[in-house]
Amino acid sequence: MPRLDSPAALETLRQRLIAARAFWPVRLILSSGTCGQASGSLAVLAALRQRLDRPDLRDSVHVRVTGCQGFCDQEPLLIVDPLDVAYCRVKPQDIEEIVSQTLLEGRVVERLLYVDPRSGARVRREADIPFFAKQDRALISKNRWVDPCNVGDYIAAGGYSALAAVLSWFAPQRVIEEIRASGLRGRGGAGYPTGKKWEQCRNAPGEHRYVICNADEGDPGAYMDRGLLEGNPHLILEGMLIGAYAVGSEQGFVYVRNEYPLAVQNVRVAIEQAREMGLLGRNILGTNFSFDVKVARGGGAFVCGESTALMASLEGKVGEPRVKDVHTVERGYLDQPSLLNNVETWANVPDIIRRGPAWFAARGTETSKGSKIFALTGQVKNTGLVEVRMGTTLREIIFDIGGGPRDGKGIKAVQTGGPSGGCLPVSLFDLPVDFEALAEAGSMMGSGGMVVVDESVCMVDFAKYFLKFLQDESCGKCVPCRVGIGRMHEILTDFCEGRGTMAQLAVLEELAWTVQNASLCALGKTAPNPVLSTLRYFRDEYLAHVEERHCPAGVCKALIRYEIDDALCVRCGECIAVCPHGAIQEGETYVIDNAVCQKCGICEDACAPEAIRRTRGLVHA
Amino acid sequence: MDLSQLEGIVQGRGSDPFDIMEVMQDIQATYHYLPEAALCRVSETMGVPLIEVFRLANFYKAFTLKPRGRHLITVCMGTACHVRNSPRFLDEVRRRLKVEPGRTTEDGEFTLETVNCLGACALAPVVIMDGKYYEHMTPAKLGSLLGAVRVQEGRPLAHA
Amino acid sequence: MPKLVSMIVDGATVRAPAGSSVLEAALEAGICIPNLCHMPGVHALGACRVCLVEVIPVAGSGRTRLTTSCTLEAREGLVVTAHSPNAVRARRNIVELLLAEAPNSRAIQDLAVRVGVRAVRYPMRNKNCVLCGRCVRVCDEVWQSKSLGFVGRGSDCHVALPFNTRPSTCKRCNTCVDVCPMTVTPCPGPQKAPAICGLCESQCSMAQNTPDTCVWCELGRGFQCARWQMRGLKAGIR
Repeated sequence: MPRLDSPAALETLRQRLIAARAFWPVRLILSSGTCGQASGSLAVLAALRQRLDRPDLRDSVHVRVTGCQGFCDQEPLLIVDPLDVAYCRVKPQDIEEIVSQTLLEGRVVERLLYVDPRSGARVRREADIPFFAKQDRALISKNRWVDPCNVGDYIAAGGYSALAAVLSWFAPQRVIEEIRASGLRGRGGAGYPTGKKWEQCRNAPGEHRYVICNADEGDPGAYMDRGLLEGNPHLILEGMLIGAYAVGSEQGFVYVRNEYPLAVQNVRVAIEQAREMGLLGRNILGTNFSFDVKVARGGGAFVCGESTALMASLEGKVGEPRVKDVHTVERGYLDQPSLLNNVETWANVPDIIRRGPAWFAARGTETSKGSKIFALTGQVKNTGLVEVRMGTTLREIIFDIGGGPRDGKGIKAVQTGGPSGGCLPVSLFDLPVDFEALAEAGSMMGSGGMVVVDESVCMVDFAKYFLKFLQDESCGKCVPCRVGIGRMHEILTDFCEGRGTMAQLAVLEELAWTVQNASLCALGKTAPNPVLSTLRYFRDEYLAHVEERHCPAGVCKALIRYEIDDALCVRCGECIAVCPHGAIQEGETYVIDNAVCQKCGICEDACAPEAIRRTRGLVHA
Repeated sequence: MDLSQLEGIVQGRGSDPFDIMEVMQDIQATYHYLPEAALCRVSETMGVPLIEVFRLANFYKAFTLKPRGRHLITVCMGTACHVRNSPRFLDEVRRRLKVEPGRTTEDGEFTLETVNCLGACALAPVVIMDGKYYEHMTPAKLGSLLGAVRVQEGRPLAHA
Repeated sequence: MPKLVSMIVDGATVRAPAGSSVLEAALEAGICIPNLCHMPGVHALGACRVCLVEVIPVAGSGRTRLTTSCTLEAREGLVVTAHSPNAVRARRNIVELLLAEAPNSRAIQDLAVRVGVRAVRYPMRNKNCVLCGRCVRVCDEVWQSKSLGFVGRGSDCHVALPFNTRPSTCKRCNTCVDVCPMTVTPCPGPQKAPAICGLCESQCSMAQNTPDTCVWCELGRGFQCARWQMRGLKAGIR
């Protein structure tokens, strides 16, 4: 790729690239992000390349390998353009049929099409698949058009035109005004107005300013940032460039968690390519704006998503947060003004510049503008990355887009905001996705994790899970978090093991208040949220555990036992064969010996007539 | 302890505050753990106090100070995996291999680790065995997972 | 000459250099804000959270917030209270947690009496370190020795030497032991049941009725507390 010495040179290159791409009659688009690869997309790609390596196909079919396209449940996804056919869950052995039937004869391979579970009909076009219908895929749809390791794709799709416009015509202050006018709020969880943060950074006194991308994405169950960073790293770089220009920074960092090796790799490649072309480094596009970016890999610590901890980590120290009376935007990395924004926040910036703040602000609610990507997971049919306009209701996301419950059991709640967020019951599913609405209900928008929970999940155990997570991830510095969360976990363990008392319930609530108000950083301050929200909406489950020693969902091992319903048992012996503990006795009837049974559930899964079920256990109070 | 590769890892680094983390991550990748001798040498060469290096090694989950077993089983315990019963799977691994998360089996075969989300939630519950992703894992599938190792190795394993 | 600013702490006007610690200013003025990890001469950690104060927004806008006075920087017009119901409640709960961690530490027992902890609602543990970080900071900042530090995360966090071996940088000065609040002689009274023993009961009652009452705690004796200094001067004790 040539070095670009002016915005005009970029435009010329863009036109050339668009013209070159128009030449290919057939394009195959294969989604191959981390999920795709885990589902075998690389084997599909190998089979594809091999099959296409023939004189009649080699020059007329172009294969674009993209990152995650969001429909994770159906990966690997293969789209045939211009026939506009989307094939789902493709395997290497399907390639022959796809090439001979679809590419060479123009016929669709019916069995590989998506089946709408409600109508039973097969859907041919990606855009017609109900999963996509209610989405507003401003950001995630871009992944379809780019191979993350090919900067040409990004430029052909309009990439870096926002940067060129900014460098040509905008004073830094104007950039900040545009971002303010758009109403963009931080996508990392706190929802702080982005334009305001940029303004504060610009005005903070300091010799050097730093621009940082928070790609630590530690919330379990959330992977929106991975999808964006892996699939379209240049989008984030362009956002950071615009931000750096606005606040006057020359050095930036992308702090990526080390559990995302593909994202690390793709960002590094993107940075190299951008440097080669003069889009990063000194005198960008021939102007006197200089900015460069380094990649820093996290060491595996959720707390490093917190701004002061992240910057401590960047400084080569342990990720311990500090008291935040002075914010990092004024005193951050190396005590200098630092602009830290989440991956998705940066990703929104180029479009706001290109299409104007009014376009962005026209989508969404009064206080929450634009679209948001959610990682819809858990017990829902269509798991994946879902991008919707702010204001879309939870019900629409979970049922219309998500397709409703996965395993046929009733949906009980949805958990948003990760370990800092809360659980909302079905009765609140008409709430719109909006920063204030979710916070008032006792949860929060968070970074985008949205886990659907059905009747098979015990809410007390679920709250205990989050506390355990936070206990492991706490840096350990302050008493309320290090000790308080541990004591809360101790109490919930007592509840789940049949030793709970009502007095402990009162202590739990007092502890929650203390941890919330006295902790040093946001990890501690938000830690009680899962407990508080489940107490608010699922108090009956807590009371059942404490007063009746009963786990209504049948999860807490100490409170359940497995038993065989003799009326349904067909004496096939399957359970005896699979039981790893030898707990099932064969006699006139099949009986589970509770003294031996470890409640692993293997027999229940293996029993075809569903004769094995969980009932209330024998717990001595 | 062959520390010859250490020179190459440390060379040219030290000007950026974050370099110490990069060096330690490369040492972890090269030796599959952080040998004490390597960390002492790094502390001397890069001028970072030994206690700081030791703190970094203990704080971040990416680092281990003890050598790993021949096979690494990583069980994802993220939220999406949790609601699809990953704890049941973990319990079965602990019972079967007689090993706790963060530790290695007596015979040095398996190291068991947990991770708090791999970002592959559509495949929940997810397990990584020696770098390969396994999806929708249940206790019943543990046998075949361990068996896959046996097939690779071409020899029987005590546990499978 | 650093600029002096005027603040209101617990209703009293206190003047201190701009940017200095509110806790230190209060202690020097004789206002008792209970604390544990505070130590003069080293940077403030804000780790124990005992010195919490409620910051009252002056313009009448915004909510109050609880923050540690040791890390709070003095500025003109700052209004804080260490003994508002919220601050007292938070502090009492924190010290109760500390007491359940280390019931045999005299320093923590004194704190418990001072803040009015009468019962401990958790099973007692018996730790010999509460991670106040005094030893670590004194070694790092006063002696520049950097021989020990906080190692590990969360509940695993503990004070340790690198690779559990005394490094050559250790000067064997013993200051780490001297400043440790756990090495203060333990209370001679009985300590078995999860409640404060009778010897302290009367002081607890006082603390409940007058939240800012002084109990002449061991922690104050060596560490900057103005009341101890005054008492020392009066009695001619050095």
